[in-house]
Amino acid sequence: MLKSPDWHLLIVWYFFLGGIAGGAYFTAAIADNFGSSRDRSVFRVGYVLALLLVSVCGVLLILDLGTPSRFLNMLKSFKFLDPMSIGAWMLGVFGMFAFGSSVLSFVDGERMARLRRRLSLIGIISGFFIAAYTGVLLSATALPFWREARLMGALFLASGASTGMAAISLSLYLFGESAGEGYKKVKRADRYAIMFELVVLAVFLALLGGAAGPIISGHLAPLFWGGLVVAGLVIPLLLDVSGVRLPGVVPAALVLVGGFILRYVIVMANA
Amino acid sequence: MTTNLIDIQHSDVIMCTNNMAENHPVAFQWVMKAKERGAKVIHVDPRFTRTSAVSDIHVPLRSGTNIAFFGGLMNYAIQKNLYFKDYVVHYTNASFLIDPAFKTPTDLGGLFEGLEQTGKGGSDPHVADTYNKSSWKYQLDGEGNPKRDLTLQDPQSVFQLLKRHYSRYTVDMVERVCGIPKAKFVEVAQLYCGTSGREKTGTITYALNLTQHTNGVQNIRALCMLQLLLGNIGRPGGGVVALRGHANVQGATDLELLYHELPGYLPMPLRDAHPDLKTYLEKETPKGGFWVNRPKFMVSLLKAFYGDAATKDNEFGYQWLPKRASADAYSHQHIFVDMYKGKVKAFFCDGQNPAVGGPNAKLARAAMQKLEWLVVVDIFLTETAEVWKTPGTSPKDVPTEVFFIPAAPAAEKDGSLTNTMRLIQGHEKSVKPPGEVQTDAQFVCTLSHRLQKLYARSKKERDQGFLAANFTFGEKPDHPDMELVLKEINGFATEEITDKDGKVVYKKNQPLNTFAHMTDDGKTASGCWIYTGVTVEGPDGKLVNKANAHKPPDKTDYLAHGWAFSWPANRRILYHRASADLEGKPGSEKKKLIWWDPAAPGQTPDKQGKWVGLDVPDFNAFLAPDAKGGDKPFIMRADLVGAFFGPLNDGPFPEHYEPIESPTRNLLSKQQNNPVAKIWSLPEQKNDLASVGSKDYPYVITTYRLTEHHLSGVMSRYLPMLAELFESHFAEISLELAKELGIANGDKVTVSSPRGKIVARAMVTNRLKPFKIDGKTVHQIGVPWHWGWKGVDSLPGSRGDITNDLSATVGDPTVYIQETKAFLCNVKKVEV
Amino acid sequence: MARTLAMFTDTSLCIGCRACQVACKEWNELPSEQPEWTGSYQNHNTFTDKTYRLVRFIEKPQANGELSWLLMSDVCKHCAQAGCLDACPTGAIYRTEYGTVNINQDVCNGCRYCVSSCPFGVVSFNHDTGRANKCTFCNDRIHNGLGPACAKTCPTESIQFGFRDELVTKAGKRVATLKDMGYKDAQLYGADSNGPLGGLNAFFLLLDKPTTYALPEKPALPQRNVIVDSLLSVGSALLVGVGALLAFRQRGGAAKSAPATDDQVKDGGHA
Ligand SMILES: Nc1nc2c(c(=O)[nH]1)N[C@H]1C(S)=C(S)[C@@H](COP(=O)(O)OP(=O)(O)OC[C@H]3O[C@@H](n4cnc5c(=O)[nH]c(N)nc54)[C@H](O)[C@@H]3O)O[C@H]1N2
Ligand SMILES: Nc1nc2c(c(=O)[nH]1)N[C@H]1C(S)=C(S)[C@@H](COP(=O)(O)OP(=O)(O)OC[C@H]3O[C@@H](n4cnc5c(=O)[nH]c(N)nc54)[C@H](O)[C@@H]3O)O[C@H]1N2
Ligand code: SF4
Ligand code: SF4
Ligand code: SF4
Ligand code: SF4
Ligand code: SF4
Ligand SMILES: [Mo]
Repeated sequence: MLKSPDWHLLIVWYFFLGGIAGGAYFTAAIADNFGSSRDRSVFRVGYVLALLLVSVCGVLLILDLGTPSRFLNMLKSFKFLDPMSIGAWMLGVFGMFAFGSSVLSFVDGERMARLRRRLSLIGIISGFFIAAYTGVLLSATALPFWREARLMGALFLASGASTGMAAISLSLYLFGESAGEGYKKVKRADRYAIMFELVVLAVFLALLGGAAGPIISGHLAPLFWGGLVVAGLVIPLLLDVSGVRLPGVVPAALVLVGGFILRYVIVMANA
Repeated sequence: MTTNLIDIQHSDVIMCTNNMAENHPVAFQWVMKAKERGAKVIHVDPRFTRTSAVSDIHVPLRSGTNIAFFGGLMNYAIQKNLYFKDYVVHYTNASFLIDPAFKTPTDLGGLFEGLEQTGKGGSDPHVADTYNKSSWKYQLDGEGNPKRDLTLQDPQSVFQLLKRHYSRYTVDMVERVCGIPKAKFVEVAQLYCGTSGREKTGTITYALNLTQHTNGVQNIRALCMLQLLLGNIGRPGGGVVALRGHANVQGATDLELLYHELPGYLPMPLRDAHPDLKTYLEKETPKGGFWVNRPKFMVSLLKAFYGDAATKDNEFGYQWLPKRASADAYSHQHIFVDMYKGKVKAFFCDGQNPAVGGPNAKLARAAMQKLEWLVVVDIFLTETAEVWKTPGTSPKDVPTEVFFIPAAPAAEKDGSLTNTMRLIQGHEKSVKPPGEVQTDAQFVCTLSHRLQKLYARSKKERDQGFLAANFTFGEKPDHPDMELVLKEINGFATEEITDKDGKVVYKKNQPLNTFAHMTDDGKTASGCWIYTGVTVEGPDGKLVNKANAHKPPDKTDYLAHGWAFSWPANRRILYHRASADLEGKPGSEKKKLIWWDPAAPGQTPDKQGKWVGLDVPDFNAFLAPDAKGGDKPFIMRADLVGAFFGPLNDGPFPEHYEPIESPTRNLLSKQQNNPVAKIWSLPEQKNDLASVGSKDYPYVITTYRLTEHHLSGVMSRYLPMLAELFESHFAEISLELAKELGIANGDKVTVSSPRGKIVARAMVTNRLKPFKIDGKTVHQIGVPWHWGWKGVDSLPGSRGDITNDLSATVGDPTVYIQETKAFLCNVKKVEV
Repeated sequence: MARTLAMFTDTSLCIGCRACQVACKEWNELPSEQPEWTGSYQNHNTFTDKTYRLVRFIEKPQANGELSWLLMSDVCKHCAQAGCLDACPTGAIYRTEYGTVNINQDVCNGCRYCVSSCPFGVVSFNHDTGRANKCTFCNDRIHNGLGPACAKTCPTESIQFGFRDELVTKAGKRVATLKDMGYKDAQLYGADSNGPLGGLNAFFLLLDKPTTYALPEKPALPQRNVIVDSLLSVGSALLVGVGALLAFRQRGGAAKSAPATDDQVKDGGHA
């Protein structure tokens, strides 16, 4: 006779956007450090996206509290093995990196660029963290299915990557930057991410077996299979490799929708 | 109750026949103590309840078949020779010989010798017949003492008659009548009859499960007879555990807020039989037993009523007492019938809610709506207080003028409550009553003072008693001092009392230490003789209220004589002379209670010997076992022995009859119902009855309580924390019946009887099972009766239909109690 | 730390009178709430933010045709290793010097993580106050030399209060006696401090297996998964990173500052 925390859409959005923010940031950071100067558009968009979304996340998190005025109480205590606790802290830390990186991505000069790369090399860790910790937060509860899901964090991270990259490519496309070489690289990265996510998801389900019931069978199943697996991962991937000509919005949007559905079905499985 | 709740922990087998765990949870701790020790617990109940849940054996029996059950057990004990021979021979009337003319239902087709067709109602079965009891008596020898046969062999001996009477109550018969599977009955019979003998004791609890039947008193006699047969009365871990009702219902009975008795169990005078005190005392004072003292108690009571105005010359005011026109009148049911018929025009309702709680509540409400005026004194605004706006009636059709007097509950006043084990416990006001709220005592005294003013100038003789009566206790006339009230109940000297050599025993107004000091010459007054000793005078001359004593039990005194005061004489277990053998030695080391100590200093320096032990010895601690009557435990009876043969209005032995409304014919005899049961016939279909095996009303229904609610529900339905514990009014229905009727758990159903119809939610449960009666399936349902149309607004389920709209106005022939434990109904799913 | 206090609920002595449930409300001034139809005497179905003691009624038909009606007064277990406590990011949930677990209402911010982290579904969220609630072990009473209200009220001493070590010894004896009496399934739940969750400071004597009473056979601390799950996340982070790295290195590295070529434009075109 276990109890649901009554987490609903606010939290789903938080997990989803947090994933994108983290994914966008580490994608940007990698582009920044290992890509070429022409990838500037990529990491600039990535950093800024991360900054915008992480601030939205903060708001969502606070709004979901029973007593929002007491948000800061989370920062009055620190528990290393408590995802919710470090999560709260890291949200702040990540926010600062995102801010720093975004600002620096608009100032010119090699010195500044070097500083920016250094900064993002450290910040990349917080990026990965933000994308993954929400998964661990769920798998560290007492509730069925969540508690069984050893790969929840890994899966959220993979999804954070695919959606983060999709978000960047989508933005580039919308800002008419889709001609650039960076755009292609992001899309290629996204392809790998999607492939990886499919693999992780497969292992995730395999490990769960029956415990995955709430999402693979039951009322959430259509969403999961149709929305996430087919529409959100397989189709975009096929489009990409098959080289079918479609406006760039389509595959990116599909990946994003898929990422949202992933968080939705998993959170709602214990709502 | 003959014993003490604390003593239950020493039982070897406890047979709960009521729902003790649910209705007497605090008392039940002692059953659990016994169980922890390894005692076995049996629960006899048509339903599987929370008592069954913690019992070793649950015995389902069809409501209304208790005598068949107990009769079956007695028969088993006798046939299998399991009864306690010494006890039966010496401490009961088993050996007494009965008038040769006497015959039992075994020979008279279900009737006892002497049934007289009064023929009043002609063919109308609703008119009770009466018994001519002339043959229901002992054979007497020359000196007028009952003849006895200590071998118990004489065919006219009580024992042989008993044996023959119950020989019909075989294991098979029990199965056919009660619906108890043979194997289960034998298991129970072996277990319980195993408590017979010196080394073991068993106790039986009962309450409404036995009383609320048209043979209620006989049900209880059957229980007592079984206990006598097994030698279980007056011994540790034995006894008859009568579990009473309201927190103070025992006190209400002792002080006799009843129509047929005066305080201390003195009969209420009858107009024709008791024209004057002399006749009353002659007729009502037996030749033997402790009741030979009745005149002292009666006169002391009259002195307490009328004070100085009560003198030898005016029969101590006896003529001022109201007298009963007949014994068959004035009971709760009589009153409401007369109210309905317009004979009773005004009604004082003090702490009662008959609009919900009374049997045939529709009748009760209709009756109260015919009153000229109604006074309700209550701590809450009850359905009775608002009977003029009963749902479905328009206030303007109700002429009744209602006065509501807000009353203070126990916590807001000083006083005492007497609980089920005769324990008088004091309580002190913990909060002041709000606003104009009065205590009941205040109300009664104030009212009486005002009435006395109004009557002050009356010269009528009949008013002089009331005018002489004292309603002032302490300085403030309208604020009675409850300690002084208790002192009057306890009794005091009305003038200085000296012993034969002139030494002052009591100063005027000094409280009496014991009822043994009461006299019939007016020198003592007492409001209720059995309570004497509860307030005594301390060395400092101040009143000591023993009801407030709080010394818990300990190793040396497990019966806790230092905790409050238990009447009579702070004795905790009655008739305990029976715990010792004839010579006065403890029956057994394990079960010793009191015994005769020949070495102890006697009554006077020259004498030796005294009853000593773990309780206050039964009367006269110095009466040696070999002295006359020294071997007789049942001191309240003229013959000093326990009665197997005990004439009541419906026979000297309990005989099984079917409830007035029954699904089956009587399988034991052709006499369907108790021939002398009280059945009222009323106009306007107010008391229609279902016929035997009725097709329209095929199911047995029983009504009962829940731990979470209290009686008519006023004290629980109105309180959110209690009201939330049940979602709504419900009816318990077996899976089998639910299946037949297509009812699912939680469905709304109607339950109907010839008197009325209610709607409730079906609680479909394994805890009820259909019975096999004479091979046929009989369904029984259960409905609690705590709901009414008022409750907590935030909890709609706290309101509900009135279960008593279903019950009938029929009664037991001795006490006229209703038959709300067993009648017939129909159940239908409410189609939505 | 003071000697550990405990409550021992011996269900073999319970008569289901629900005095404890009501006494708890009385003492803690918890309001009534609209009950649901449970189909039996039990109300409510689960613990709520207004019901800290919950008497369970379990009808269980036996093989031999007899019925057993198990009565059990359930409560917060005050676990030696408490999921709720470890989950709480604000430190609102704390352990008292008596070993009991309590929620500081002045600190709780209503994040509800504790709700999903109790292996017994005890903590409940109060939508009116925006805080989490559960049995306080009558914190105010035990700090003033009184026993818990529920234990004090219990007419049959089914709920016993005292020092844990003493109660455990007592409980052990009781089980032995019951077994002798023929209650073959009689067992202690949570008495063993080497057992699950380091033992429960509110432990039970059951007459049937735990699951019959809606208790987990082997309750486990949810947080036990945090490290594993985190490491797996790190793993996937590395893989994702490598993927992205490849995406940006390829060609990016090769043609450091070469002008955009046709095929790139083509590429860009078909996204
Ligand atoms: N919590 C609580 N306690 C109470 C009360 C209350 O309202 N609430 N009321 C108090 C009062 S006033 C009284 S009088 C007592 C009454 O105490 P009880 O007599 O225990 O109360 P009931 O529930 O009316 O009836 C007891 C049982 O009798 C069963 N029964 C029905 N017919 C038969 C039968 O023929 N034989 C047998 N053996 N059992 C039968 C019913 O199923 C029911 O379970 O309780 C007192 N205690
Ligand atoms: N069908 C069915 N009917 C039954 C029964 C049954 O088992 N089945 N049981 C019967 C039995 S045993 C009984 S006892 C009756 C009970 O029937 P009632 O006595 O009519 O019911 P109660 O609700 O106890 O009513 C007592 C009233 O006294 C009030 N009260 C409490 N304290 C005080 C006080 O200090 N002063 C004053 N003035 N008022 C106070 C309460 O508020 C309440 O309204 O019901 C009987 N009716
Ligand atoms: S309500 Fe009062 S009288 Fe009834 S069981 Fe509880 S304590 Fe005893
Ligand atoms: S039972 Fe649940 S709420 Fe109680 S201490 Fe353990 S984890 Fe916390
Ligand atoms: S809801 Fe309150 S008590 Fe529970 S974890 Fe969050 S802050 Fe802590
Ligand atoms: S210990 Fe106190 S708070 Fe906890 S259940 Fe018992 S009464 Fe309620
Ligand atoms: S008070 Fe005691 S007996 Fe009553 S339900 Fe609670 S634990 Fe059981
Ligand atoms: Mo009663």
